[in-house]
Amino acid sequence: MTHRLTFAACLLLLAAKHGGGQVAEAPLILVSTDGRQSVPTVSFDGRRMVNVLELAAPFDLTITDDRQDSRLSILQDDQVIVLTANQGLVSVAGQLVSLPVPPVERSGVWYVPLDFIGRALPLVHDQAVELRRRSDLVIIGDILVPQVVARYRTTGPQSRLRLMVTPATDHVIEQELSRLVITFDADAIDLVLPDVASDNLLTRLSGVETDPALAIELGESFGSYTSVREPAIGGGIELVIDLQPTTATTTSILPAPVPAASAPAAAVPDPNLPALSDLARPRAIRVIAIDPGHGGDDTGTRGPNGTLEKDVTLGVARRLRNAIESQLGLRVVLTRTGDTTVALDERAAIANNNRADLFISLHTNASIRETAAGAEVFYLSLAEYNEKASEATGQPVPVIGGGSRVLDIVPWEMAQLRYVNQSARWAETVADELSLRLPMSPRGIQQAPFRVLVGANMPSVLVELAFISNADQETQLVSTTFQSAIVNGLLRSIIRYRDEVTRGVPLSDQAATSPPDKLDTNQR
Amino acid sequence: MRRNYWMYGAMGTVAALSAWVLFVGLPGWYPTSPLPDATVKQASASVDGDFIEATLFYISDDGMALIGFDRRLARQTEQAAQARVILEAQLAEPPTPLLSPIPSGTQLLALYLTEQGDAFVDLSEEVMIGHSGGSLEELFTVYAIVNAVTTNLPTIKAVQILVNGQEVDTLVGHVDLQRPLDRNMDWVTEPEETSTSQQSALQGVNQ
Repeated sequence: MTHRLTFAACLLLLAAKHGGGQVAEAPLILVSTDGRQSVPTVSFDGRRMVNVLELAAPFDLTITDDRQDSRLSILQDDQVIVLTANQGLVSVAGQLVSLPVPPVERSGVWYVPLDFIGRALPLVHDQAVELRRRSDLVIIGDILVPQVVARYRTTGPQSRLRLMVTPATDHVIEQELSRLVITFDADAIDLVLPDVASDNLLTRLSGVETDPALAIELGESFGSYTSVREPAIGGGIELVIDLQPTTATTTSILPAPVPAASAPAAAVPDPNLPALSDLARPRAIRVIAIDPGHGGDDTGTRGPNGTLEKDVTLGVARRLRNAIESQLGLRVVLTRTGDTTVALDERAAIANNNRADLFISLHTNASIRETAAGAEVFYLSLAEYNEKASEATGQPVPVIGGGSRVLDIVPWEMAQLRYVNQSARWAETVADELSLRLPMSPRGIQQAPFRVLVGANMPSVLVELAFISNADQETQLVSTTFQSAIVNGLLRSIIRYRDEVTRGVPLSDQAATSPPDKLDTNQR
Repeated sequence: MRRNYWMYGAMGTVAALSAWVLFVGLPGWYPTSPLPDATVKQASASVDGDFIEATLFYISDDGMALIGFDRRLARQTEQAAQARVILEAQLAEPPTPLLSPIPSGTQLLALYLTEQGDAFVDLSEEVMIGHSGGSLEELFTVYAIVNAVTTNLPTIKAVQILVNGQEVDTLVGHVDLQRPLDRNMDWVTEPEETSTSQQSALQGVNQ
């Protein structure tokens, strides 16, 4: 804590030293076919500006500071933009563009007003660039960004939220703990929110930073909701969401917690198996490792329309990372952040070195049968490592001062053996939450000797999100709605698992070490 | 200094000799010192003259499991030769409508049996190159081979797959092949679930 404070203080000092009156402002969100990223903004004398270096990567700019005559040259391919300090006119590929305020240079760092993005960059960028100031969005290329205008009114005991969505866009409403999240099937939304006075049903309306979604924070007397979608004038739709208070007769729509008794009861622990898999104590969940399957030379599976597994897994991993960081405040480690080749053992090593508390490997499946469909959750099977596992446990070791004690030595490359029971619970939780949102394969939860899991020193699962070989599922895999459903399911499973660990819920006697019933998930 | 070169030379010779024994000598011995002929599957596979009935594994109609089919194969007196016949039949392109879980063109390069009951099955690289890359199909590829050997030759307890003579981590990124794998029938569905079309195909196969 002290370290954090000191660090924050240093940052403030630095900011004060370099800033010269600059104040941090809300970030801009850049939306393109590659996804979303935020760009920080600051204000000088009430004018919002952005550091040009922040624009270099998203717009592929090369920046050269010509210190002699206080000019900055920006190159995009062979086109040049020239900024001059304290001049409101900018030369853009030979044309002059005027800015409402001149660029500001502070200690070698150049800041440009937001209009630079809307006025100058479209002239040199090979895709359309649109600045929407009202919603702080920068839209790059040909992507779908509907406008969503919200109105809220309380009438008697219940209240009504109306959303005008133009153009008409599909949506999904999901309840996450104490909020409703409406996710639109779009690349981003241009959200216009009213000032809402908090009441007993609704406390806040806000955009979700990482998703094309609107979050409704629910008040303490919220009981249930209904939603109706109607066509609206101008080609859009109106979405009417009524919030009702709890009454004695109204049942909560919160998903009922799954009782431990619903776990497969028939399973009997294999007496031949060592108790090794119980050795590790559950620990608090602070760091999540996400492993986007395949990458680089290893493309993974390929859909009939050419979608590559490595791209889907990376896209979902990025969305999941953003959601976990923004909604749960946990640290996230990706085993790859770009299209790079990473060995299987290295993926587990990255999770281990970052002391991750949960590991989730993302994949898409493929089958020679085109109709095969559905998600599957895997955790490590012990049987294949049984011999090594038996060798590794119960070795009496002499200790100083006489006597001996049994030491649980697990070869480092098989760290997962100690976590198989916890991984089983983690897998159950993931499969449960995904099955509420995605089609599951008849083999919803399974054990297999998957290499990427063996070395992971934490509860670990591998999730096959869908069959990319199935043309319908391939289309789903690249859609925002489906990816949001995946991310929400995984997010919710992390919350549930974390809560169980925090509350100290013991592992049930379900035989994590014996293969689960193949049809288990379907029957539940 | 000169003595050091001598030592390196000697060590090199020893290493080369051990390597020869390990990779050429021993594998050469095993097939010629077969386990007793009675170990060839007899419980369920009726030995009928010059044939055995061996169970081979193909992909089910829904693509979600392996299914076992009994196939008539030439009977061999030696264990290694029998294993080779079974594997070659498993790798061969099956008649329609059966679907093989193993990429077409995959060749059996070599087969080694150990006294401990492990089989080392060396396959050509087509098993990797021609693969769809799905984890479920990788499980099917691996366990079709493991189960074909261990189900039909009960003295063989585990199978390790090699590719082009080398140990590999996985075929296409999922199933750990760094150690011999035991038979695992979790990936195989019951025969009554198989379709009639496939059963009639089987009749044809067994002619």
